[in-house]
Amino acid sequence: MTWKGKGKTAIVGIGYSELSRRPQRSLGALSLDACRAAIDDAGLPAERVDGLATFPEAPFHGAGTQDGEQIVSVEYVMNHLPLAPDIRWYAQIETGLVASAVIEGVNALLADACEYVLVWRALHNPRGRYGAWSGNRAPGDAQFMAPYGCTSIFQWHAMAWQRYMHRYGATRDHLATFVTNSRRNANLNPNAYFYTTPMTREDYFAARWIAEPLCLFDCDIPVEGCVALILTTAERAADLRHPPAYIAGYGQNTSRRRALFHYSLDNYMESGHSLASKLWASSGLGPQTMSAAELYDGFSPSTLYWLEAAGFCGEGEAYSFIQDGRIALEGELPVNTFGGSLSEGRLHGMGHIAEAVMQVTDRAEKRQVPNASAVCAIDGSPMLRGSGLVITREP
Amino acid sequence: MSTTQEKPRPLIDDLTRPFWEAAREQRLVIQRCQDCHYFNHPPRPVCQACHGAALTFEPVSGRGTIYSFSVMYQPNVTGFGDELPYLNILVELEEQPQLFLVSDLPAAQRERVRVGGKVEVYFEDVDAELTLPKFCLVA
Repeated sequence: MTWKGKGKTAIVGIGYSELSRRPQRSLGALSLDACRAAIDDAGLPAERVDGLATFPEAPFHGAGTQDGEQIVSVEYVMNHLPLAPDIRWYAQIETGLVASAVIEGVNALLADACEYVLVWRALHNPRGRYGAWSGNRAPGDAQFMAPYGCTSIFQWHAMAWQRYMHRYGATRDHLATFVTNSRRNANLNPNAYFYTTPMTREDYFAARWIAEPLCLFDCDIPVEGCVALILTTAERAADLRHPPAYIAGYGQNTSRRRALFHYSLDNYMESGHSLASKLWASSGLGPQTMSAAELYDGFSPSTLYWLEAAGFCGEGEAYSFIQDGRIALEGELPVNTFGGSLSEGRLHGMGHIAEAVMQVTDRAEKRQVPNASAVCAIDGSPMLRGSGLVITREP
Repeated sequence: MSTTQEKPRPLIDDLTRPFWEAAREQRLVIQRCQDCHYFNHPPRPVCQACHGAALTFEPVSGRGTIYSFSVMYQPNVTGFGDELPYLNILVELEEQPQLFLVSDLPAAQRERVRVGGKVEVYFEDVDAELTLPKFCLVA
């Protein structure tokens, strides 16, 4: 049965800060830029914003968590932005990625806990080597990995992709199609870090290895910056500047997973289905009715796993499904129409949500998918504790 | 190798101590549920399959296959900088599907790595306190 909240809330404003590798200003200042921009975009007086939600996680385990410099919390935004004199509701979540913060906001609106919710995701790009593991005592599950030098998320993803290639016959050549298509889309997205930098297949094949079989361009580009959204109810949305992008459904990944090497490809279909089945059940829509799909790509293979786990194609078929222009802007299922995290920047899924909003409200300019009526945005690899949204043009 | 920093060592806790103590005695043991017989690795306070608490460590064959592998090119882990690029394998033990252990391969075998390759355990003494179970290809 379709979710009773379908179409009752909407995203009505989007704000981007500058996205760069090494900004001159603090992450806190950039986040305030993004929040102000989202409020302006909605055409809303700032003092009407009475709800706040974020997912402030550091970019990787071991990175710093100084508020306003390395993360941006509810506390920070509440103290630094002139919002409603009496904030009515907030949520700061620590699992489910930022799509779960949006879900929190949706639920708060449906519960009439507040009227206008500001959701943001600030991402820090720490100096030094990304994802470095510098401890010399490995606690918990890491004690079975770190002594062998295997601690980084991209090593785990490399293992999963190696297994996928072995199991289904995929090659790097197949993956190059996806990565270069994302770059082509980013070249039409002024917010993208790689907006003015094209990529050929030759560029892809020339990139250095990070963890073979994944190369530099299979990893998302770490940036520092923030994206913010404004949510409200469908009734209130009608009075604002832009057409509303309705929340038709949502889902969280609630699969049980093994602790060690949960990226081993042992359960990506089952785990991804845990999230996707809720998306389709709540919205009453399905993969065949999506005008485009914004599918998490912290590492390039994750999007392929999503195409399968969310039902856009069968298990083991994604690497061939994405060929022949099928996922291009002009294709039958445009995928990561904004360039994804690979080419827009590592925003932990916020870019995917913002793009779904842009597409269903005809605001995507040169990358607009004509008449986009429903777009899903899925946050997190299928093996991760992620979450997702179905966003629609009509309620 | 004089600049080499020490590699990470396990911070052994009550749950994992039997695994590491057995390794020092050149034995590979894995926590197993006495009710449903599921092997849990890493060790857990309750069985991941049935949530039972009757868990003991049992010897396993030490034989398995290479489920997957990757080659690391980044000096992200303390003490491994001099070995770049280095290989890691994910071993699936023969006792149970998806019963995984991480390892490397002896340098002389790295060219022969492949998914599905048969491996067996051996034990590498790091020092008097620590022995790491590792895997090598079988002939």
